[in-house]
Amino acid sequence: MKRGIINSILIFTMAAGVLSGCGGSKTTSFTVTCPWAPSGVAAMVSQKAAAMSTNHSDNMILVADAVKGDAATVNTWVADTKADDTKLVFAGEGLFSITSILDPSKLQFSYDDFAFVENLYSSVFVMSADASLNIKGMKDLGSYLAETDEVSVAANGATSSEAFLAASLFGSMGYGDKLKITPYSSAAEAAQAVARGETDFAISHQSQILETFEQGGVTIVCAFDGEDITEGAFAGVEGVGKYGYPYFRNRCFILARSGTKKETVAELKKLYDDILGDNEMSTWLKDTMMLEIDMMSEEEVQEHIQNVQNIVNEYYDIVVG
Amino acid sequence: MKEIQSWIERLGERRDVIDEKLEKKEIKLPTELVTGIFFLLLGGILLLVMPSQVPVSHTDVVNGRAFPTLLMIIMMICSGIILIKELYNIFVKKLPPITKTINLLVEVKALVILGILLLTYVICRVTNLFVIGAIFCSFGFLIYFRCRKPAYYGITLTVSILIWVAFRFGLNVNF
Amino acid sequence: MLEYIGPALEHLFTIENFVWMNLGVFIGAVFAAIPGLSVILCVILFLPFTYKMTAIPGMMFLLGIYCAGGYGGSVSAILINTPGTPHAAATMMDGHPLSQKGRTKAALKVALYASAFGGVFSALMLLFLGPQVAQVAAQLGTAEYFMVCLFGLTIIAGVSGKSMIKGLIAACLGLLISCIGADPMTSYDRFTFGISRLYLGLDLAICLIGLFALVEILAKSEKKIGQLILDSKRMNDDGKITKDEYKRLIRPTLISSIIGVLVGIVPGTGASEASWFSYDRAKAMSKHKEEFGHGSVEGIAAAESANNAVTGATLIPLLTMGIPGDGTVAIMLSALMINGLNPGLSLFTTQGDIMYAIMIGLIFVNLFMLFQGRFLTQLFAKVVSIPQEILTPIIVLFCFAGAYSVNKNYFDVGVALIFAVIAWLLRKLDMPLIPILLGMVLGNMTETNFRRALFISNGSPMIFVSSIYCIIFVVLTVLAVFTLIRSKMKESKEEEKE
Repeated sequence: MKRGIINSILIFTMAAGVLSGCGGSKTTSFTVTCPWAPSGVAAMVSQKAAAMSTNHSDNMILVADAVKGDAATVNTWVADTKADDTKLVFAGEGLFSITSILDPSKLQFSYDDFAFVENLYSSVFVMSADASLNIKGMKDLGSYLAETDEVSVAANGATSSEAFLAASLFGSMGYGDKLKITPYSSAAEAAQAVARGETDFAISHQSQILETFEQGGVTIVCAFDGEDITEGAFAGVEGVGKYGYPYFRNRCFILARSGTKKETVAELKKLYDDILGDNEMSTWLKDTMMLEIDMMSEEEVQEHIQNVQNIVNEYYDIVVG
Repeated sequence: MKEIQSWIERLGERRDVIDEKLEKKEIKLPTELVTGIFFLLLGGILLLVMPSQVPVSHTDVVNGRAFPTLLMIIMMICSGIILIKELYNIFVKKLPPITKTINLLVEVKALVILGILLLTYVICRVTNLFVIGAIFCSFGFLIYFRCRKPAYYGITLTVSILIWVAFRFGLNVNF
Repeated sequence: MLEYIGPALEHLFTIENFVWMNLGVFIGAVFAAIPGLSVILCVILFLPFTYKMTAIPGMMFLLGIYCAGGYGGSVSAILINTPGTPHAAATMMDGHPLSQKGRTKAALKVALYASAFGGVFSALMLLFLGPQVAQVAAQLGTAEYFMVCLFGLTIIAGVSGKSMIKGLIAACLGLLISCIGADPMTSYDRFTFGISRLYLGLDLAICLIGLFALVEILAKSEKKIGQLILDSKRMNDDGKITKDEYKRLIRPTLISSIIGVLVGIVPGTGASEASWFSYDRAKAMSKHKEEFGHGSVEGIAAAESANNAVTGATLIPLLTMGIPGDGTVAIMLSALMINGLNPGLSLFTTQGDIMYAIMIGLIFVNLFMLFQGRFLTQLFAKVVSIPQEILTPIIVLFCFAGAYSVNKNYFDVGVALIFAVIAWLLRKLDMPLIPILLGMVLGNMTETNFRRALFISNGSPMIFVSSIYCIIFVVLTVLAVFTLIRSKMKESKEEEKE
């Protein structure tokens, strides 16, 4: 009996030892942390890219992970990773252009802590209005703002990209003092709020307001882009850039830890580019997510960060008060 | 194996002596008074540290301190009710305070268990090998329970290694 | 609804889902059968596993545990007169006497059939009522949601044990814990004390491992080491239930299932209330009242069908409004949200295929429970007597591995240990722990809606009575609190008399 137990323990321990030695395989898994809600646009894109990674690489697998927490998640990520770790993270203008100005003490990292891999998409935010207000374009908006004392805009977070887009539009139109940004926990919640009439307007990704728009709960006022939207359900919606108002697109960069081998970063970039080049991915991004594929160089990323920083600096007072 | 068994028995005998002494020692804990005072103080302390722990923007209609402050006030009111009720019972109704008997043996045993848990944690953290902590934990509890059956040691050890294997290789948790 | 059924079945009918369902049912039944181990503990321990899964298999696994837990508790109640779970206490009233009459297998069979019927009935109710309730929930705005949260918090009264005031303090503690980390409205850090790991807040699963699982390990110090002895000879009957008995089972099983569903929908009431209430009703309506307490098959059926009928019903407020019906489903909320499934109407529309797969899956979970119960009862009976020496370290290791695996760092294991010590000290003060859990679950939602509503109304509290839904929930909250206070007062008066 005793011998039997000792033998079984030995065999089991040895087996465990052998198993633990079997850890190394030719395929490397890269965990891609998305610091926003799992139901958000970035997390969904990351999930899709991860699912498609096996079709495009034999030695690299992407594993999507979503940990809501924004700067805090990225802080933890930076603290827990070192160069050449098989971990990637998402970050966008929210962290590098907004939080870095509004609450720099919150960021325990800088752009130098990362190595840029790729930008996957750019999203043109749209502003929707409560259908009962019957605001269908910039002209209607101008008349409405001139007559009203206060306008409430639902946004995903009080100091988010959406909040600054609202501030930049209303501010540049001369109605910054009338603006009241109502923060919601997600873009989807903000979209529902305007449909219920809880707020007058909402700013969201196109895909997040589509269902409500189709049901007639909201009208689309404008798009935060240089030109009008030309395709899809929102074709014809005016771009605010056309009127000379400031705007930016939402972008989320995939980043590795700084110091990671250039070859690894290049290989990852190629993998992402291959995934984005896949017809299945491009169709899904365009039709389902209503996003544009937007591969960027590091210089373009810096330019984007700078552009948003300029807007944040200019309209800081409207958002923060 | 016999040596280990006799060591466990010797340890058990020593523990019996200590247990016997401790078992008779009891403390009456006035639960209502302690609850009232403790949570009243906790609420007060948290209200005091609130300004340093919760930064706010002065333009907010309802800032980040409002909800925790509300909670602390409710907590302090509830604690106050418990305290006043108990003091009223003691001084006006002349009733004995509500107490709970705390047996020292139980508390010492709980501390021993906590010790096993903490040591397991420290071993796992220092070695960064969960399996080593797991083996220690298994032995620790079996000795705590004065287990003399070798089969139990074998089963527990096997299962503890299995748990590690399941998490390490099944769930890819690298520890 | 029909448009989702096809895709839902496609999602559901995979080997993976059925394996997880069965595994959940098996683990749940085993845990519930062992006195001292609870369903909530089981769900907490296995929650980290689901973080690696997608929504459907994860929920199937947890629902398997949850439903089988309802049945498993009856095994030890019948066999050794010790309820494996609190809600099996009513089953014990007649289950054990029937077993003593030499009809152990028959008692277990009645319990199993009644549990499975109650579970399937409840799952069907969820399937048909869930989307309707969600439609109403979609019309709720920020102020209404705050009132729903407030109504949800009346659960505290139901789970506070002897002292409702202590329950309220514990709930404040839970709500306060939910405030740790980034402010949901402004992202400013709160109560982090400079510890960067706290910026993300405390993970529910990790806190629960400390509060409910590790504290049970510390509680081992209160118990004398001994083994529950199972007389296996007692299970040698043929387990036959007569035609007449089957006929007698129909009415109490059906009525108790309805009671279970109604009780389950109301937050704060749970399987224990449902089983005792149903048992009482069945006794009042029975033609064989004299058998109750002495081995009545109707008594077993009433208690068991009611406590399993609660399972699907508690999911109705959870899936439609994010309000957990009881402590166990509160934990399941994090399994849903980790997969991006946020309670509300959108869950039934944009993610309708997943949601319907989960709801239909619940029917299968109950059918597998019936299947496993039919063939594995002997095994479940044996686990009743697993020695504590073996179980304790295994639970500890699951707790440690589970806490570590959530964020893959030992800081969280430390947090779980701290929560275990806190829970231990709170137990010394007779403080209930479930309100802490509810506070933590509802905290973020309550605060966000409270602040946002006041923000919208420029600080005017009148917004909380500004709509018909608000007023309905105010009335419901007042009614719930009033009823619960009255029943508490009645309880304490009866205790004083005794």
